[in-house]
This record gives sequence, structure tokens and C-alpha cells, in this order.
Amino acid sequence: MTRDHVRDAILKIFSERFEIDQPGLDEDLRDAYEFDSIDAIELLREIELLLGSALTREEKKAAMEIRTIDQIVDYVLALAATRPAN
Amino acid sequence: MSRRVVITGCAAITPIGNTKQGIVQHLTEGISGVKAMRADGLLTEHIHSGVFGTVDYPIAYDFARQHRKTMGPVAYYACQTAKEALAASGLSQEFITSGRLGVAFGSTHGSPTVQRQIYRTFFGQTDAKLSSIGAVDYLKSMVHTTAVNITKMFGITGRVISSSTACTTSSQSIGFGYEAVKFGMQDAMLCGGADEYDTTTVAVFDNLLACSTEFNATPHLTPRPFDVRRDGLVVGEGSGTVILEEYEHARRRGAPILAELLGFACNNNGGDLILPNVEGIERTIRLGLENAGMRADQIDLVSAHATATKMGDVMEAQAIGKTYGQGPWVTGLKSYMGHTMGSCGAIETILTLYMMQEGFVAPTLNLDEVDERCAMVRHARQLIQAPVQTAAIQNFAFGGVNTCLILRKAVP
Repeated sequence: MTRDHVRDAILKIFSERFEIDQPGLDEDLRDAYEFDSIDAIELLREIELLLGSALTREEKKAAMEIRTIDQIVDYVLALAATRPAN
Repeated sequence: MSRRVVITGCAAITPIGNTKQGIVQHLTEGISGVKAMRADGLLTEHIHSGVFGTVDYPIAYDFARQHRKTMGPVAYYACQTAKEALAASGLSQEFITSGRLGVAFGSTHGSPTVQRQIYRTFFGQTDAKLSSIGAVDYLKSMVHTTAVNITKMFGITGRVISSSTACTTSSQSIGFGYEAVKFGMQDAMLCGGADEYDTTTVAVFDNLLACSTEFNATPHLTPRPFDVRRDGLVVGEGSGTVILEEYEHARRRGAPILAELLGFACNNNGGDLILPNVEGIERTIRLGLENAGMRADQIDLVSAHATATKMGDVMEAQAIGKTYGQGPWVTGLKSYMGHTMGSCGAIETILTLYMMQEGFVAPTLNLDEVDERCAMVRHARQLIQAPVQTAAIQNFAFGGVNTCLILRKAVP
């Protein structure tokens, strides 16, 4: 799972699921697109499907401070590193 | 404190249209909105009734994602009629968000479509290791989803009432909203009810042998309120919103005053949860008239609950006969669109308002031969062109809940 692959997958989710097309990679999603905590929970579900693996409660809590696409990509890559490749 | 309450805006989504022009055309030309029930892949093959009061025309929603994400189908209906009714009322954005406007809005049981998605996740073949229930599924499906999606969409900060009493849901919304304005708790209330396409409700009535089953091949011939060949109710879908406003407030701002809501009554039969009760209905009607300060002979039109069940229609006709005699015209509007459940009280209030505005009484559709046990009232059997100054809208629900709303066209 490369950085490019994860970024493309996340941008696809943002476009299809949240109707947010081509956000800046370091834009604050809350400020720019009203991406709120409910959206974040929905995104975590999509990340679980992307990884093919459930997230622990601690892993989910760690996501709550994330604000940008770049941070989401970092988060997903870190999770992927702790899981067997699928 | 007791203040006068007027209607300054309304909008409906019904099986016979979502514009005044379309609805009036159906009512005056005798066109039914009852269609063959569409399959749901779950219950329809087990249900004997094959008809449904269907909203089958496109509705152009333009809700932003921030609002859509907490809305199930029932909230789409609710928010659309709320939006149109607010626009028609001309209430300012400043007033809408001031806390002086509240919401009284409900549905039978939130969004059954979303509830089914949740159940499929619980009991279906979904991979249980992954989270599958959406963060917003509860917000979409909960029983007060209509009321609070309306408050969110329009920034309404006043009180919230979300009745959920099946067939009296929205007549209670209007009644409780009326009392909130009348007694000075709010200066205006956005009131109504909605229900989406749902076969669960059909299955409930079907199981009680209360659904129409004999007209599956000719849906437009059912329901048949007060008719000898009536064989039960037809479930439908829709939404209705009325804006209630304190009279002086409406007058000062030059608002369109569509009618005055003169009175409201709500009571319970105090006994069986299903069986219709003539004494309970009669008491509701008398309480409604008393609350409005009206005599029975001052009412021009009764919009009957008239579901076309075997005993319900007989009990209602007897109660109307005892209180009104042969005075007012009696019409059963469900004959055009089936029983729109949580929205029926609001929709029937709006249709009554349209009849008042246009000066006609729509006949009860499919009333070919009046059941002699229902014959003691003055049934509208053909289109009547006549001024309607006053009307009573009555609704009854499982649980023994009865309501009566009294409307007056002119505001002296």
C-alpha cells in the first residue's frame, strides 16, 4: 500500500461519499468543508473497508484530531503498517 | 393569555400531487392517487393488500450535503414541505431563528427504510468484524427525525414537539402547535407530519384484516369510505406542513392569512387500543366545537377520518350524525390517496384549506352506494361548488386517540 495509492483512495472516498472534490492536501477540512465529527466516524468506517480490518477503539480515538487529507494518509499508512498486507 | 391563531403558509406532498393546482385538479376531477404497491423485497409477497397511496412523481430536492447526511426518506418529505411552507409564509430569517418559532412535527415511526438497513446489518450476511452501522443511521431513523432535521435545516431554535401517535400524529402537531401560540409560548409554530413508503405499516393492518384486498387489480377503486363495498384501508405516504402564527403578528407584517384555526380537541377513548368508539369520537367533536366557541350548525364541512374500515366508518358516521345531524357536508379525503398515516391530519387540513379557498367540496371517491349504517350524515357524493367558511377536520388513531381541529376561512 503506497502513499499514492492511499491518497487516491482517500480522495475517491471524499468525492463519492462526502461530495468534496479535490480538497487541498493540507486544507483544514472542518474549516473549508464543514467536515465534522459525524463525517469523521463515517470516514473511519470507509478506512476499515479500505484496510479490510476493524479498527480498535484506541485507533479510532487517535483519529479525532486529524484535520487534513495529508494527516489522514499518514494515519492510514500507520494503520496499514500494523496489519498484514491484504 | 389567549391569542388568535392563523395559518400563514402551507405545503404538502401527497399521492395526488405536491402543488395546490395539482391537488385541486385531482379533487375536482375525481382522480385517485392509489396505485399498485411496489415490491420491497421483504414483506410485499406476504401481504394480501396490493395497493398503496403512492408519491410517484419526481421531487426536485436541493438540500446541501450537511443536511442530507442526517436525513432518511421521511425527513426529505418533511423538510421539503417545511421549506415550501416557510417560503409561502414570508417569515423572515431573523424571526425563524429568533426562538419565537417552534416546531411540532412527527411521523409514525421515523424512517423504516433506514431501520431496515440497520436490521440487515445486525441479522444479515455483513462482515461482522467491520463497523457497518453508520454514525448517522440513528439520526436518520429516530422517531423525532423529521422535527429536528427541520430545526437544523432552517436554524429554528424554539420549542420542539414531536408527537408520534400513528394516525393522529400531525393533527396533534397542529393542535399542540396551536396551543403553544394561543397561550403565548411561541409566536409561530411550524406544524405537520410525514411518513415515507413503508410496508411494515401495511403488514400491521393487513394482519388485523383491516387492509383493502379486493381491489388489487383496480387500485383506484379503493379505499371506499362509507360505501357498502368498502373492504379496509389503503396505506399511503406523504407530508404536510402548516405555519401557525399569532394573528396580530401576522397582520402587522402583512402576511398572507389563509385561515384561522379556531379550536382543537384531543381525547382518548379510555379503553380498547384498536376498536373505534362512538362515544369517544362524539366527545372529541363536542370538545372541539366548544374549544372553538362554535355551535354544530355553524360548521359547513366535516373532513372525516374515514379510513374505509368496516366498523370505523360506521362509528364515525354515527358520531357525526349525533353531533351535526344532516347539517354539514361530510367528505372522506382518504378516498383519493389512502391513509397517509402520520401525515394525514396535516394533509387533510391543507386540502380542506384548498377547498375553502376555491369554494368547493370534493366528494368522497368510490362512494357508489352508502352503507345504510353510515347514511345518517350529509355525504358529499358529487363535486359541490359552494362556499365553505368553516370546517372540522377529525382524525383517530390506534391507542384510542381522537382529535378535532376547527378551521375558519375568513378572519373578521
